[in-house]
Amino acid sequence: MAIEVSDRARAWLKTKGGVATVRLSPRHGCCGGGADIAVAEARAPEAPERYTRLDLDGVTVHIDPTLVDQGLRLDVEGFLGLRHLFVEGASPTRSKE
Amino acid sequence: MSDTATESPSVAEGMGRFERFLSVWVALAIVAGVLLGQFAPAVPETLSRFEYAQVSIPVAILIWAMIFPMMAQIDFSAVLGVRRQPRGLIITTSVNWLIKPFTMFAIAWFFLMVVFAPLIPKPLASQYLAGAILLGAAPCTAMVFVWSYLTRGDAAYTLVQVALNDLIMLFAFAPIVVFLLGVSNIQVPWDTVALSVVLYIVIPLAAGYLTRRTLIAHRGIGWYDNVFMKKVGPITPIGLIITLVLLFAFQGDVIIATPLHIVLIAIPLILQTFLIFFIAYGWAKAWKVPHNVAAPGAMIGASNFFELAVAAAIALFGLQSGAALATVVGVLVEVPLMLALVRIANKTRHHFPEAPAEARG
Repeated sequence: MAIEVSDRARAWLKTKGGVATVRLSPRHGCCGGGADIAVAEARAPEAPERYTRLDLDGVTVHIDPTLVDQGLRLDVEGFLGLRHLFVEGASPTRSKE
Repeated sequence: MSDTATESPSVAEGMGRFERFLSVWVALAIVAGVLLGQFAPAVPETLSRFEYAQVSIPVAILIWAMIFPMMAQIDFSAVLGVRRQPRGLIITTSVNWLIKPFTMFAIAWFFLMVVFAPLIPKPLASQYLAGAILLGAAPCTAMVFVWSYLTRGDAAYTLVQVALNDLIMLFAFAPIVVFLLGVSNIQVPWDTVALSVVLYIVIPLAAGYLTRRTLIAHRGIGWYDNVFMKKVGPITPIGLIITLVLLFAFQGDVIIATPLHIVLIAIPLILQTFLIFFIAYGWAKAWKVPHNVAAPGAMIGASNFFELAVAAAIALFGLQSGAALATVVGVLVEVPLMLALVRIANKTRHHFPEAPAEARG
């Protein structure tokens, strides 16, 4: 599967417009260098053409092509009424510099 | 999982030339700083005149340049994942805040004040001890992403532990430092410590948070990550090297007179790094924590937030202090040590349980 979406993430996403983006976010090291971390957000990407679009049981997931078929899982977590999406199963990758 | 998923990236893949040879650049910065101090003493003397409320303005700017980019990339919403890997987070927060500062103090005190007593005058040894305490009181906040990459760590867990540790640091750094300096009979006024925390943690953290929120709201997350942070991120190591040149312009006489002190300071710092790594890593193994959590969990404590340590040492004790010199030795040994730990973590991966199938990369 390109990416798995948990039932609770799917239910939560439907309350937020039913769209998610899974992308790579660069993190810079203090000694130089860095790594790209897979992150998820409950919104459409700014440049959808750069993503692979997946329609998964009522939610649309725009995913960075390099993250497709990596065995990732999209889930939601939080407490005190605060929630956010996260991607499970990804290791950091090398920043494209 | 593919076969390649279990293979860790090589150091050459994971780190560019600059970060791999950081020790070389630090050594060159030391030489450049010493030469500057010896042959163009007017430069550091002039810079030292720009002070406000006993805070050196050029140094403050350089330190903000080092710390702000790190703070601007922290996504504090990651803290919402605090319950996801509870064992990993219990280990890393316990080691970072309940063990690491105190083992650093104990090891540094034993070597600097006892073993090396015939080689280092006591007042200077106390200064070096203060620098070691500052290094031990703050875990790594940015390079841990690189260490996590090199050990195929869990990216989501790494984000959570960094956000959580940075929040704890906000409240724990000053009390730990004041307590351990007090135990060492090194008196620093509370208001000076509070000022350095405000200047070098609270202000950069608040500025980073507000910058992140404002720019993402106006320009979008893609622009922020791929344009803004790409330009701002590399400022940290540049600020670090310039700060070191300036610092050693003031330290030149000490280095020329007692170069052996750098080696003597490095010994307890190296021992502490290995000790903290093995405490966290061994604890994770005993609790059967998956390797992709155990490795970044152990790395964050072994590695130091040395920009903050350098900043606090300068703020509390001055550019010419032994404390500032000790924190720089932390920078000098950081990358080779951490790469050794990366190798150990990768070679011992098979001793740890695999991550659950859905949580593997």
